[in-house]
Amino acid sequence: MKILTTVKKVVDVELNIHVENGAILDKGLQYVINAWDENAVEAAVQLKESHKADTTLVSLGSGDNTDIIRKCYAMGIDNAIHIDDPALAKADSPTFARVLQKVYEAGDYDLVITGKQAQDTDAGQAGIMLAQFLNIPCVSNVIKIEVTDDSHIQVSRLGDAGTEILDVTLPAVITVSDGINEPRLPAMRGIMMAKKKKINVMDLAGLGTSFEDVGGTAPTSEIVEFMPTEKRKGGQKFEGEPAEVTAKVVDLLVNEAKVL
Amino acid sequence: MTNILVVADIKQGELKGSTAELLSRARALGADTAVVAVGAQVKDLADQLAAAGSDTQYIVEDASLEIFSANPFAAAVVKAANEFNADMVWFGFSETGKAVAPRVAVQLEAACATEIIDVTIDGDAVQIIRPAIANKVLQKVKVNAPKLVAVVRAGAFEADPEIAGKENVVALDPPETDTRAKIKELISDASGEIDLTDADIVVSVGRGARDQAGVDMVKDLADDLAAGFGSSRAMVDAGLMAHNKQVGQTGKIVAPSLYIAVGISGAIQHLAGMNGSKVILAVNKDPEAPIFNVADFGIVGDLFDVVPLLKEEIKKIRA
Repeated sequence: MKILTTVKKVVDVELNIHVENGAILDKGLQYVINAWDENAVEAAVQLKESHKADTTLVSLGSGDNTDIIRKCYAMGIDNAIHIDDPALAKADSPTFARVLQKVYEAGDYDLVITGKQAQDTDAGQAGIMLAQFLNIPCVSNVIKIEVTDDSHIQVSRLGDAGTEILDVTLPAVITVSDGINEPRLPAMRGIMMAKKKKINVMDLAGLGTSFEDVGGTAPTSEIVEFMPTEKRKGGQKFEGEPAEVTAKVVDLLVNEAKVL
Repeated sequence: MTNILVVADIKQGELKGSTAELLSRARALGADTAVVAVGAQVKDLADQLAAAGSDTQYIVEDASLEIFSANPFAAAVVKAANEFNADMVWFGFSETGKAVAPRVAVQLEAACATEIIDVTIDGDAVQIIRPAIANKVLQKVKVNAPKLVAVVRAGAFEADPEIAGKENVVALDPPETDTRAKIKELISDASGEIDLTDADIVVSVGRGARDQAGVDMVKDLADDLAAGFGSSRAMVDAGLMAHNKQVGQTGKIVAPSLYIAVGISGAIQHLAGMNGSKVILAVNKDPEAPIFNVADFGIVGDLFDVVPLLKEEIKKIRA
């Protein structure tokens, strides 16, 4: 089984984000691997261990992704491709999906595993769109993957009515939720070996395509401005004798906020 | 004129409030409205769908639609969108919406936007606003494609009780079942539970509750309030709460009138799932817990003392 997993480098959401004149300031930003993609990588590596799957990772972006790719190598990924093209800095979800389609078509993959969404955009579209473009099945928000045979997997998905169990014919795209696993911390041996591994870096031309070809020059939508979120302010905080403050707060909820 | 098709949010046979919220907003924008209802038993909802503010009700009913399946659901929505000549298709915030919207967008060659909180239409120019980066920034997005498929964030729009549509039911043929992603089984969420995303009050439990006994105590408070019962990620990871109870960036997004966070420190991912709540009450023994930075009311104290007291006080006012 050949697995393709995708990773995105995203801004660290734990840090403060500053917006000025409609743009996010670079100052103080740090970039990390998208948390849900880490779950996707872990899921791929587990299939490598249980079913001898061959695992390839692809990262898309503009700029150096060596750090996050080395981390995935250290977790156990076999091969890595980095599509590094400045044009991708402003690409929308369908464009990313088209690039992934080119990567997919250049390999002979049975299964694509992606995170359910990226922490920076929270869009959650690229994986599903990739499957649409490829006309292969897709199950999103998956919390369990089991291999049935060479051409079938069984997955569990968190839906609105409960947990849905599906039989999926491969090839397929699966997008995973953080509930699927706990990504491993790479062992020292893995980290040392990861340093020696080669990363296959190419731009869109190297992939045999162009920004126009993947729809990048005619985006379906584009961000025109960033704005700061209106911050909630902390209100009244009560400390002291529990019975007293609890009664006080309930009174405020009833008579001032009128929500009880 | 803009034609907006709203996808009815139906859970366990019941029409959810988000449908009227979206239809109200669509009408306020001056749009012609229609709704599409997809499921095994949805015909009977037609009058409710009209009352919610739609002027046409597309009904896609078939036994095969009993359990959610993304591709057939998307095919049904696409069919309705084409019948209605929809410029926009709106979904309420749900796993169904998140799974189906990108599929519909590709098939309609539309732009796709998830978690939107506002839409403006100015002639042909359509713009949307949506939060990003765990709700730390807002994006203003210009829609270039002639059509837009959007998933609306919970609590973004309000239902206008004055608004009503008219009944004009159009039955559409059911879609084909998906043979490549075959539904085998649905393990239903416990029935009779209050729906987290639709509840007027939500009580969530965090690590401070420590163990099953702590969780049960907080659950009692939720039950007394007829509130939805949610969780921080820590409690899900600890196996004390089910995945579908997780409130946050990756789980459920809620926007109730009152959100009560019990023993939750307030990680940024959790805040992203609940900071649209009207009023937030936090109970935490750490006065420096970040949850207090967003809470309208905070009680600094041991939840094992405070929760029973809260229950008592609530009993008094409800008596």
